[in-house]
Amino acid sequence: MTPGIDTAASNRPLWLRILFAAEATRAALWPERFSPATAWAFLVPAILVVFVLVAGMGYMVDASLRELDRSTFMLSDDYSFANYATVLDRSFYWHIIGRTVAAAVIVTVITLVLAFPYAYAMARTPSAATRKLLLIGLFLPFFIGQVVRAYGWLIVLGQEGLLNSGLAWLGLDAIKLIYTYTGVLIGLVQYMLPFAVLMLAPAVTAVPEEVELASGSLGANWFATLWHVLLPMAKPGLVAAGVVVFTLTITDFAMPEIMGGGTNDFIASAIYDGYFSISEPGLGSALAVLLVLLASTLVAVIFAFVGVGTLGYTKRLER
Amino acid sequence: MVRLDGVTKRFGTVTAAEDVSFALHQGEFLTILGPSGSGKTTVLRMIAGFMQPTAGTILLGGRPVSELPPHRRSIGMVFQRLALFPHMTAAGNIAYPLKMRGFPRAEIPKRVERFLALVQLHGLGDRRINELSGGQQQRVAIARALSFEPDLLLLDEPLASLDRKLREDMQLEFRRIQQELGVATINVTHDQREALVMSDRVIVMDGGRVQQAAAPQDAYRQPANRFVAGFIGVTNFLACTVLEAHDGEAEVEIGDHRCAGRSAAGGEAVGRTADAALRAEQVLIGEAGQAIAHADMLVPATVTEVIFEGDRVVYAVDAPTLGGASLRIFDHDPLHHKTRRIGETVTIGWKRRDLMVFPRDA
Repeated sequence: MTPGIDTAASNRPLWLRILFAAEATRAALWPERFSPATAWAFLVPAILVVFVLVAGMGYMVDASLRELDRSTFMLSDDYSFANYATVLDRSFYWHIIGRTVAAAVIVTVITLVLAFPYAYAMARTPSAATRKLLLIGLFLPFFIGQVVRAYGWLIVLGQEGLLNSGLAWLGLDAIKLIYTYTGVLIGLVQYMLPFAVLMLAPAVTAVPEEVELASGSLGANWFATLWHVLLPMAKPGLVAAGVVVFTLTITDFAMPEIMGGGTNDFIASAIYDGYFSISEPGLGSALAVLLVLLASTLVAVIFAFVGVGTLGYTKRLER
Repeated sequence: MVRLDGVTKRFGTVTAAEDVSFALHQGEFLTILGPSGSGKTTVLRMIAGFMQPTAGTILLGGRPVSELPPHRRSIGMVFQRLALFPHMTAAGNIAYPLKMRGFPRAEIPKRVERFLALVQLHGLGDRRINELSGGQQQRVAIARALSFEPDLLLLDEPLASLDRKLREDMQLEFRRIQQELGVATINVTHDQREALVMSDRVIVMDGGRVQQAAAPQDAYRQPANRFVAGFIGVTNFLACTVLEAHDGEAEVEIGDHRCAGRSAAGGEAVGRTADAALRAEQVLIGEAGQAIAHADMLVPATVTEVIFEGDRVVYAVDAPTLGGASLRIFDHDPLHHKTRRIGETVTIGWKRRDLMVFPRDA
């Protein structure tokens, strides 16, 4: 055998020879000197998807600037801010925007308050069985889907539903939750909870238990430990979960449709109506653009306030 | 200051600590030394209040503390992984217990400065934790544990993760700070060197039980049993049979040799199997077939391993007449002694009082 020469090549099994042939083809088509570009090449599919979305947004902005011509029911050829003026002029739309933003804020706060103990229990429980149970409880709703869950709520919260039957049995008055704002919020919180827990759990796990014990031994009771140590250290997860819940809520369509039954529309419903009910694509587009602006501005404000560092994009200062 | 009376901790069927009793006086530095799983950390956590004893009482300043949660005990603790608060500065960490324990607002900055100076971090108070080196983080951790002047300081192996040089520096530094403040301290470690260097007193634990409580020199010179003799220092154990035992002396048979040694055993040990223990540095090496100065026992042996470590040479030798035992020997004066070669035939010897006899349990 000659040193340095691979004489075993002819003895390779077929699958290895196929692999080597594939590798040789790759080397011919994509030489080593291209390798710095390889990592970037993997970004191409993602960039294409984003590009298509941006192009769609472009069309939407274009449509939002054209007024509907009532004589032809076509969008006008010349640009104006008429659609935006209409939106901002009608108190009807202001109500919807206000209702949506308020819901996003309330749902975000309530969801984080409920999700934190859940994530904490999942991270800290010493029992593997308990952790599994909590995980199943977390993922089960994902398998069901939002629409089915909303109908589930109708069964539970409806006029003749489980809740009111229970109240009647206890001799109490029935509560009207279906087709109310409260009903929509309950449905949304339940929908958002798993997302929030999923994003909080790693953040809580990243806080060593020793740090909590240390805080206790230094004189802090459990609330002081939560406030001064646990929450600040879990901040990245709280911000990430908050942003996700906030944006999902502010853009939500199904929950206000089903649980609100048309009485508590969000912006997304108004956009849908703009396109399909009143057939004013210009107006719908204007609303859509306003929603995007509103959501991105609020998220930008949050990040400006707490820093993008909470998403993990910090330069580490380790020595 | 601190007293443990018959403290026992069980987790289900596992006993982590059994009947642990000791007392600690003002200003004393006590080390609980033991391998992992010996129950030393369990004892420390019970004193800190993170877990409750299954049986027994813990007294702090004469008061039973079973009902007291950690934040109501006057105990400062330095954790294994330090557990500093990364979202605060060094000064913020040191001020934390002062705020939590309701120190007057005006006093806090002065105290923080004082303790920064005590641990030699003057001017580094504004640094974030991740901007400090490993040794500096250790200093912040100890300053944080001491800034509220607790009655008791607990150290849960905080030095274990440091490299050797830094660890040895920090051992002396912790000792200096502890003596300067005169705070009673309990240190937990598996590092026998650390225990000997830092402590006024050492408690050796194994299998959840206290094996020996003694001053470092005494634990080293007069180990209470085979475990302590093996855990502190490097010790050779030779299987032997007890021929006679009385008045702190024992006569044993090791292989083909009869020899005498120190032993706490009495007449009941006669005829039983025992372990004869010889510290690696107490075995002497001489020329084959010749006597060794100061040695009472002489045994022929063959060198099987020679490791030069600079300040000492570590030998392994086979002694066929000692029941075929292999012994480890330290020569702490290699510059003045002949270095042996592998395969060389030598004589090994020891002083009668250096041999310790521990009868095995029946």
